[in-house]
Amino acid sequence: MEYNWLLILIPGLPLLGAALIAAGAQGRWNRSFLAALGCTAVFLAFVATVLVRLQYNAAAPFGSVHMPLWSWGVDGVGLGLLGDSISTWFALVVTGVGFLIHLYSAAYMADDPSYPRFFAKLNFFIFAMSVLVLADGFVGMLIGWANVGVASYLLIGFWHARPAAAAAAKKAYWVNTVGEIGLILGAIVMLQHFGSLYFADVLPQAWFAPQNVLNAVALLLLAGAVAKSAQLPLHVWLPDAMQGPTPVSALIHAATMVTAGVYLVVRAYPIFEAAPWGLPAVALVGIGSVLFGALAALGQNDIKRVLAFSTMSQVGYMMLGAGVGAYSAALFHFATHAFFKALLFLGAGVVIHRFGGEQDIRKMGGLGKSHPFAYWTFLIGTLALVGLPPLAGFYSKDAIVVGALMAGRPWLWALAVVGAGLTAFYMMRLFALVFTGDSPEVAAFQRGEGARQAAAAAEAGVGRSRPVPPLKMVPLVVLTLLSIVGGFFAMPDLSGVPGAAEGARLAAPPAHEAAVAGRVLTESSAATLTIALLLAVSVIGGGLALQRFGPKRAPQTAESGFVKAAGAGFYFDDFYRAVFVRPLRATAGFVGDVTEPHVIDGAVNGVARLAATLSGAVRRVQSGYVRRYALALMAGVAVVLIYFVLMV
Amino acid sequence: MPGFAIEGYVIVSVVLFALGIAGVLVRRSPLVMLMAIELMWGAAALLFLAFARQFALMDGHVFSFLILVVGAAEAAIGLGLIVLLFRAREAVDVDEVRELRG
Repeated sequence: MEYNWLLILIPGLPLLGAALIAAGAQGRWNRSFLAALGCTAVFLAFVATVLVRLQYNAAAPFGSVHMPLWSWGVDGVGLGLLGDSISTWFALVVTGVGFLIHLYSAAYMADDPSYPRFFAKLNFFIFAMSVLVLADGFVGMLIGWANVGVASYLLIGFWHARPAAAAAAKKAYWVNTVGEIGLILGAIVMLQHFGSLYFADVLPQAWFAPQNVLNAVALLLLAGAVAKSAQLPLHVWLPDAMQGPTPVSALIHAATMVTAGVYLVVRAYPIFEAAPWGLPAVALVGIGSVLFGALAALGQNDIKRVLAFSTMSQVGYMMLGAGVGAYSAALFHFATHAFFKALLFLGAGVVIHRFGGEQDIRKMGGLGKSHPFAYWTFLIGTLALVGLPPLAGFYSKDAIVVGALMAGRPWLWALAVVGAGLTAFYMMRLFALVFTGDSPEVAAFQRGEGARQAAAAAEAGVGRSRPVPPLKMVPLVVLTLLSIVGGFFAMPDLSGVPGAAEGARLAAPPAHEAAVAGRVLTESSAATLTIALLLAVSVIGGGLALQRFGPKRAPQTAESGFVKAAGAGFYFDDFYRAVFVRPLRATAGFVGDVTEPHVIDGAVNGVARLAATLSGAVRRVQSGYVRRYALALMAGVAVVLIYFVLMV
Repeated sequence: MPGFAIEGYVIVSVVLFALGIAGVLVRRSPLVMLMAIELMWGAAALLFLAFARQFALMDGHVFSFLILVVGAAEAAIGLGLIVLLFRAREAVDVDEVRELRG
């Protein structure tokens, strides 16, 4: 392991930026300067990440970069930064995409009165996420894990005066707390059993640990991953998290933070692989989320909620990849997904601003004619997500699906293919509703409500073809390019990560080998078959959507029961409300209205009343007449004297 | 020292002490009560001296000095309190001063 002090800059600079911006906001510094400060901090962190990655590349395949920071004086519990194949891969995307979204935010949030606060929080998020992915043990990972939760809470609730945003922020925090408890319990079990929380100590040993310990640790870690990555059944916070500003949705709730669960599974893969229940559970969660997210996205009418469920579905693919042992493919899909999903969210931000804050896609249309820039960037993002060659999503998603087949899981493979068809359908539905057909003003005119509504719209500044500001355009262009060429990047491999060498020596599972090495696409007829199938279902799904929601769409009819259920997220929220929230509220109400005033206060007041009653009798002795006290004293002395005279 | 009769001293001391008790219990003027207390101090000191004489020990003498000193200190504080009491209110009756009753 080589030492590199640059590692500390990756989380350090954004943290410094956050502190400076917060201080500067208090001192009423220039807003643009503070925004530039936030962007610069993240950009420098990105540069540091690139330098670390270069050093790692020079040391590859079995080297890594390390920087110990702190120890608590307990064996195996400490904090340090580790740059290896997985962590630098994640850190590159976090700081890189993070920088682009900072740039975009500088324009997108320009009218917000709390502009500096936004950048302080965004910088804080980059700090927390860097700690999460760069930590060299589960301690540092937990620190980062909890802090990204805080950052997510702060940014979802950025417009905290909105009740919906405040409620969504709380919901996200609570659901993630469930996962964090799992993660902390998992860490405790590991510390008990392995005597250390450093990856370098725990993961190589994991291959030889007893199965029940491994099962427990794997399932506890998976609980954390499921909550953070919005996987079934703890996904309910993600759609609500769209209450945050759109750049936040792009950065935290699409590109980076929600993939922390994937990072955890891939990082701790010796545990998951050695535990009998580990990988099957991960794959099950993954495929369930793929299908659930895709189906729920079909029924959403809010542009950001469609993308939120799409994120859930795509992170499900990553989980599926990790669950069938195709770790490289999962990491690869994380990166490409970060590119095109960030692009889609930023594009959605442009769309939302164009429609004056409207987010209902049924009230949109015709943006293709007036906004060719938004049209093309969004189209490329959509096609990359659908997985059309040669765009990025094609390579990464197909690698995962092929990995499922090669791991000998035909059922997972078949369901993943179905998921790809659904993906194409809901994405093309979104695209067609927003960009094709007539704009809402034209549609209103045709319906004959023309003049008044058009005047109102014009007054609100809606529909005017404003040029997209360059600060918004640059990130969109870069992300578009990345969505196009991202598939040509080399797949990350797992050589040199803690635990890999022991695993390879011990029992390299043959089914995974090909996927791990990233050679799946060209190797077998299975791959060819999969690619052909995926393309076919994608084209069919997309075509159906275009036909139904495209320019010649039929007028809106009443929604079918299925669409309604999908729109409501298949009633998961209602289920949790009935099973957890209501009983909790009732318990809280009971405690507040009955236990507190009657039992607790009753006990306290009862003790006080008892003391008052008892003392009421005694206190009359204290008459205040000093001569009476003197008499009592004398009488006491007399009694003692008489006792001694008579008895002794 | 043959012929020393302790009984007389004891009787005088008891009488003085009883007078002191009666004074404290009966009189309501703080000044007079203080004087009655002094009377009891005197009775105790007398008894100490008498027994010291009988047993030919110095301990009793020491204690009688101690009583004088403590008595003087007590009188100083007591008189100070009484002066303050006079300043605070017109009444000189200890029965009127019972703010600390329960």
